[in-house]
Amino acid sequence: MTLRRSLTIVALLIPGLGLILAMIGSVFYVAVMQSFGFFNLTGEDAFSLEHWHDVFDSRAYWRALRYSAYVAVISAVGSVILAYPLAIWLRRPFRGAGLVSGMLKAPYFVPGLVAAFLFLNVVAYHGVLNQFLMWIGVTDAPIRFQNDRNAIGLLFLQIWKNLPLALILLTGAVQSISDDVLDAARDLGAGRFDRFRKVIAPLTVSAMQAALVIIFIGAAGDFAFQVTVGPTNVQSMAQYMVFLKDSFGRWNQAAVVGVSLMALALVGSLTLAAVSRFVLKGGRW
Amino acid sequence: MVTVSETPIARPVRAARQSPLRPLNLLLMAILGVIFFLWLVLPFGLAVIWSLVDPATGWEYPDVLPPNLTIARWSEVWTTTALPQALRNSYLLAPCAAVIALILAMPTAYCFARYDFPGKGIAQVLTLLPLVVPGFVLAIFFSSLIFNLGIYSRFLSILLAHCVLFLPYAIRIMTVSFEMVNQDLIDAARDLGASPFERFRVAFFPVLAPGILASLIIVFTQSIEEFAIAFIVGAPNFVTIPSILYSYLGYNFVRPNAAVVSLVLVVPNVLLLLVLERLLKSANPDQAGVKG
Repeated sequence: MTLRRSLTIVALLIPGLGLILAMIGSVFYVAVMQSFGFFNLTGEDAFSLEHWHDVFDSRAYWRALRYSAYVAVISAVGSVILAYPLAIWLRRPFRGAGLVSGMLKAPYFVPGLVAAFLFLNVVAYHGVLNQFLMWIGVTDAPIRFQNDRNAIGLLFLQIWKNLPLALILLTGAVQSISDDVLDAARDLGAGRFDRFRKVIAPLTVSAMQAALVIIFIGAAGDFAFQVTVGPTNVQSMAQYMVFLKDSFGRWNQAAVVGVSLMALALVGSLTLAAVSRFVLKGGRW
Repeated sequence: MVTVSETPIARPVRAARQSPLRPLNLLLMAILGVIFFLWLVLPFGLAVIWSLVDPATGWEYPDVLPPNLTIARWSEVWTTTALPQALRNSYLLAPCAAVIALILAMPTAYCFARYDFPGKGIAQVLTLLPLVVPGFVLAIFFSSLIFNLGIYSRFLSILLAHCVLFLPYAIRIMTVSFEMVNQDLIDAARDLGASPFERFRVAFFPVLAPGILASLIIVFTQSIEEFAIAFIVGAPNFVTIPSILYSYLGYNFVRPNAAVVSLVLVVPNVLLLLVLERLLKSANPDQAGVKG
C-alpha cells in the first residue's frame, strides 16, 4: 500500500470513526480519572483510592450491582428464549407472516419512557389487568404489579421492549439456513428437537450472541424503566450513579459506579455470550 | 421419517417457498390476534383514552370508560407546560443531528465500502462503540467533560453527543449503500468525460439516495427519542420531549399529561419509521444492483 493511499484512508476515517474514538475515549478517560480523584469540579486534583473504598463500603452499591446483573441476565436470556421459536416459526413465509413479524417488532420502535407509561396504564391498581383478574376470579383484591419487589413488572417490560431486537437478529440467521440442510437432517431421521439442537442452534450462535450482548448491556444500564416501574427498595446502577451525582455532587463516587457499570456490561455480556455458545454447541467450545 | 409432502415429487411446489395456511398456523394466528390486542392495541388505546379524560370529571374506579371525553388536556398541556418549547428543541436538534451525522458518516462509509486495508474489520467493530457504552455513563461523563472544557451551550453539547451517538447507524447504512454503487458505471462516466460532480450525480447518487434518506430518518427518530443525554446534559433548563415526559412519570405522576406527551413523542416517529422500513427494503442489496 502506498503512502498516499494510506493517508487517503486515514483522512476518510477521521470524521466518522475518528470522532467516535475521540469522544468515547475521552468520556471513558474522564470517568476513570474522576473515579481516582482527578477532573474535580471543585477542590484539588490528587490521585486517591478513597472514592473506590467509600463506594465499596456501601451496601447500596453491592445491591445495585447484583440487581442490575440480575435484570440484565434475565432480560437477555428471556428475550432470546422467546425469540427462538418465533424466529423458527417465521422462517418460511406464509400468509400473514409479515403482519405477525411487524406486530412483534413494533415495541422496538416505542421509546423506553413511552413503553413504561403504556405498561403503567395496563397494570395500574384499578387498571384493566387487575379488573380482568378479579373478574375471572384469579384474585379477590387488586395485585400490585408496579414497583413490585422482585421486579417482575420491570422484567416483563424489558422483554417486551427487547424481544423484537432478538427476533430481528435471529430471523435473519434462521432464514439464511438453506432448506437443503434442514431436509438433509430430516432425511437422516432428526426430529424437531434434534434439528434445532444439531442444525439450527449451532448455525445461529453468532446472531444469538449479538442479541444477548446488546440486550444485556442495555438492561444493565437501564434507568428509565427502573425509575418508573422498578422496585423502590433497590436502585439500578445507572440510577445509583445519577443519585450520587445529584446528591451533594459526589462526582467521584458516581465515577466509580460508572466504571463498575462499564465493567459489568463488558464482563457480563462476554460471559453470557461464551456460556450460551457452549450450551448451543452441545457442550463443546 | 419422510412424509409425502417431503418427497422429491412434491419439491417443485415448495420451491415457491410459500406454505399454505395450515390448521396449526391458523391456531397460532388466532392466539397472535389476542396477543396483538394485549401487546399493542390495549396499551395504546388506553394512552389515547387517558389523554382525552375530562379534567373536571376525571376517570375513577369503577367506571369502565371515562364519563366525558374532551381535548381539554391537549390544550392545557400545550398552553401551561413547556411542551411547545420542548417540541421546538427536539425538532431543531433532530434534523441538525441527522444532517451532520450523515455528512460525518459519508467519508468513513465510503472508505469501508470501497477500500480494503489491514484492520478494516476491527475499525468497523470500533464504530459500534457508542452503542455498547451504557447511555447514562456516556451522558454523565460527557457532561463532566463539557464542564471541564467550559462549553456551556446545552444545544451544541447535546447536538454533538447525538451526532456521535447515532453515527454508527449512519455509517452502517451508508456503507451498504456505497457497496452497491456499480464500478462499471463510474468508469463509464469517467470514460465519457464526466466531471467528478457529474460522476457523483449519475453513478453514485441514484444508488445512495434511499440510504441517505434512511440514515436521515433513523438518526432523526433516535435523536427525538433520546433521553439520557438530553436529561443529564440539558438539566434543568433545556427541555426535550422525553425529559418532559419523564417529569410526568416521576414523583409528580400526572397520567393524562403523560398520555398527551407520550402520543406527541411516539406517533410522528412511528410514521417516519414505517417510511424507513420501505426505504431499507428498497436499499436491500438482494434486490438492487450489486457492487461492480
